[in-house]
Amino acid sequence: MKQLTCLLALLCLCGCETVQPWERGTLAKPEMQWQADPMEISLQAQINASKEATSGGQGAAGGGCGCN
Amino acid sequence: MASGPGDKHPALLALTSSALLLPAYQGVRADAPPEFIELGTRYSKYEEDNTQGGKTFGGSSQRYEVDAAQFHLLAPVADSWSVAVDVQWEDMSGASPWFVGQSLDGGPKVIMSGASIEDTRTEVSVTTRYYYDRGNAGFNYVRSKEDDYDSNAIALDGALNSTDGLTTYSAALSTSQDDIEPTQGSVPTNTLKADKDISSAWIGVSRIISKNAIVRFGLAYTYRDGFLTDPYKKNDRRPGERNEWAASAGYRQYFIQPDGALQADYRYFDDDWGVASHTLNLAWHQNLGQSTQLIPFLRYYSQGEADFFANIANTDQRHYSEDYRLSSFGAISGGLRVRHEIGNWALTAVGERYETDESWGVYSGEESPALVNYWRYSFGLDYLFK
Repeated sequence: MKQLTCLLALLCLCGCETVQPWERGTLAKPEMQWQADPMEISLQAQINASKEATSGGQGAAGGGCGCN
Repeated sequence: MASGPGDKHPALLALTSSALLLPAYQGVRADAPPEFIELGTRYSKYEEDNTQGGKTFGGSSQRYEVDAAQFHLLAPVADSWSVAVDVQWEDMSGASPWFVGQSLDGGPKVIMSGASIEDTRTEVSVTTRYYYDRGNAGFNYVRSKEDDYDSNAIALDGALNSTDGLTTYSAALSTSQDDIEPTQGSVPTNTLKADKDISSAWIGVSRIISKNAIVRFGLAYTYRDGFLTDPYKKNDRRPGERNEWAASAGYRQYFIQPDGALQADYRYFDDDWGVASHTLNLAWHQNLGQSTQLIPFLRYYSQGEADFFANIANTDQRHYSEDYRLSSFGAISGGLRVRHEIGNWALTAVGERYETDESWGVYSGEESPALVNYWRYSFGLDYLFK
């Protein structure tokens, strides 16, 4: 799986078109952000992590879990 | 979990950990501080379905309910800095699976903790961030406090744009020290006092691939060391270390004609406890005019069981656990998020349903009688000082 992810990354990086700074207006829209609503994303991730054995992957893990 | 006034809700406790997940990845403009002060608040209600009578000794049992309040402040400071303060309070009540026994027909049935549990948690997170020409760097401190659990975590993260601005490289490091002192109630706990440390590293790269699309990849490693057993579960004894790896990918595609965007995120997780999982998140962000957004979302999750999991634990082994969260299962959740802006104000409402079933997963294993389904509702209000 990691190999597949790396392969996809390389393919993407090789196949991208040049987008000038003045053409990036759409990319600045809220719906194009990785975290459009931080509080919503945070709460959703917290609940899922408490009911499942796996978590994280979107940043450094931090700490504070007593749910073991 | 054991019963007693100080017992901790698994969701509540995990809220601690996940709340500390640091969003080190950046958007398209990694070098731009916020233009205005942002202020937001959320109220959320989390409600688990009762455990079905056929799966428990003692009949149907009410499980957890959690009320959560969140406050968020993000403000620019001088020309190149920002500060963010997040505060979260949670209040929970209910019962949780304590252990699993064998019924007369040979099948496993769960024994719930019995008495209703009450607890609260407070978490404060402060992040300062410096923005420079081609990126930013942040420092984060989080403190979480409960009666039986105390966590302090710090993290550093940074992002760097390529010279053409099309690629953003990101990285993050974090460490935490957690102290556990289980509340002594009507059942014995697995420890009187213990601690654990969590260290984590993450790298990511995002890339603009067209005027309307962006993609992201990330790799994460987390090391947990210390008391990783659930102190309140009767038959639970886990290794003192855990190594975790996660590979993730994300994609955003804007479509001009419907004025909407597809949001897709995938994560593969693996660890040295034998647990692996696939997670796929899909959302469609539909703009309705200038001020309203409808966002339906769907999530699929599948995990394989830990090497030492069994519905009825063999306590002669070195490590064992009956915790349903370490079993094989699949989960499907979905919901709708609505946002409406009125001037500088924005109203948000979210409804979500989460359901689990062993047969929905891609990994085989024993079906735990304690799998959980839940509803979650959130209501929010945001204000932008502009």
